[in-house]
Amino acid sequence: MAEIPTMGHKALPILEIIEHGPETKSFLLPEPFPASAPGQFVFAWLPGLGEKPFSISEHHDGAIELTVKALGPFSRAMMDLAPGDKLGVRGPYGSAFDVPGPAVLLGGGIGIAPIRFLARQLERAGRSAPILLGARSRDEHVFVDDFERLGAQLATDDGSLGHHGFVTELLGGLPMPPDTTLCACGPELMLVGVRRMATKLELPVQLSMERYMKCGLGICGQCCMDGSGVRCCVEGPVLDDALLAGITELGQAHRDGTGRR
Amino acid sequence: MSSPSLATSIAGVPLERPFVLASGILGVSASSMAFAVDHGAGAVTTKSVAWAPRKGHANPVVAPFEHGLINAVGLSGPGAAYMAGEVHAYRERCDAPILVSVFGADPDEFSRVTRELIEARPHMIEVNVSCPNVSSEFGVPFSADPVATAEITAAVVEAAGDIPVATKLSFHCPSLQVMARACEDAGAAAITAINTIGPGIVIEPGFRRPVLTNTIGGVSGPGILPLAVRAVWEVRKGCGLPIIGTGGVETLDGALQILMAGASAVGVGTGLWRHGAGLMDSLNQQLTDWLAAEGCASITEIIGVAHG
Repeated sequence: MAEIPTMGHKALPILEIIEHGPETKSFLLPEPFPASAPGQFVFAWLPGLGEKPFSISEHHDGAIELTVKALGPFSRAMMDLAPGDKLGVRGPYGSAFDVPGPAVLLGGGIGIAPIRFLARQLERAGRSAPILLGARSRDEHVFVDDFERLGAQLATDDGSLGHHGFVTELLGGLPMPPDTTLCACGPELMLVGVRRMATKLELPVQLSMERYMKCGLGICGQCCMDGSGVRCCVEGPVLDDALLAGITELGQAHRDGTGRR
Repeated sequence: MSSPSLATSIAGVPLERPFVLASGILGVSASSMAFAVDHGAGAVTTKSVAWAPRKGHANPVVAPFEHGLINAVGLSGPGAAYMAGEVHAYRERCDAPILVSVFGADPDEFSRVTRELIEARPHMIEVNVSCPNVSSEFGVPFSADPVATAEITAAVVEAAGDIPVATKLSFHCPSLQVMARACEDAGAAAITAINTIGPGIVIEPGFRRPVLTNTIGGVSGPGILPLAVRAVWEVRKGCGLPIIGTGGVETLDGALQILMAGASAVGVGTGLWRHGAGLMDSLNQQLTDWLAAEGCASITEIIGVAHG
């Protein structure tokens, strides 16, 4: 098991911002911890504006990268930040993708963030894996050049780039040796689709999940998933077949800030 | 010799294992509490439940520091009727006793919440008169004043019927002995001691600002263990009620101190952060081994022994 981080919030100056579009940006920050793994996340904090969890989209030499889409008040406020501005960070938290054997990587929407980190990590290890990426439209695909260099196949809901349809539909055309792990992050309905496909093909999955989080430390219980009660912030966000088997709320409404479903 | 027994009891409620999941820790849903039982809890406590749904404070609600955490979650919760459903679901799947922590703005709300929750047949009601994180909304915690604490305890005892009631105290009061006696006289069947300390403030120098949205938050973690041991000690001296000793327990040594000061069961909370979900399983095993090495047949042989 990974060492449990004990550090508190650290205000870090933003080194560089990469604009993928008006609504999506990557933020490079001096690394607050020496190592992290694809799938792990940090909390980002802006005083007065709140604190939200984000997957790490790359751990460079000396810097971590967060790729953020403007979806709510906090992420929208992040779009106004400039290099040199400070962002509070604590982490890294949670479980990581772990693929010793063959793998296929699937990302949907802003769920490409940990998939990018995983793809780059495999590349650094001299390995390669098919990458399938979906988005609503051409404009919502990020890191296209980088992913295409790695041989990624793209899909869009509106047909404006690549395959017209769901990213899971590209799985059928891939040669997949037995025990290929399907590694996916994206909207929960996409993840449910990936898992259904994996069951049919008798392949293992690792899915990066998202739940409303408060502490990130495994104690508040807010992100416990119905069924076995596993914590999205500690046992997750990346869950394998054994952990997924105990969860009864996949693809269903999950709990809000009050604890109601 | 057979393995020593960890079985204990609080106000007639039997616990097979002495570690109680503290209120505010994993107590959101039937599944999250079942997760704690699967990891060694002998009993669980719900997150404090008020009458209406509450969003609580905005994140950040926790701030780690070198010796623990400060937190100000702000009593978020789904409301009494919804939580009754979770308690009912928990009772269907787990045998380990469940304590429902109740909170209210006044004795009447405490009473209404209790009436709603006892329908789900919890084993105990815990009265949260000591949350330090909602003072901007509710003023100084009731637990600073023995008269207010007794009044609320009596209201909950009346509403709870045949279900025993534990009052959860704060370290911050003029006399824990006086407070414990007041609760006993008001009909409490047990005392939980203690809630978080302070509240305190953590400032991030890089931002020149406090970390918590609520600015102040209750202090927990291994740094408060000696205060919890002292609190259990005083409550034991002040009244004859069984005690759930809570505060800073992360090790066998801490658990032994709480038991020897007079607690019949040991609350665990913040320790699950740095020691992981396996902490209570590990403490059950370490305590069993320690008792065997000391030649004790039962955990009950060490409860309160430090008083001589």
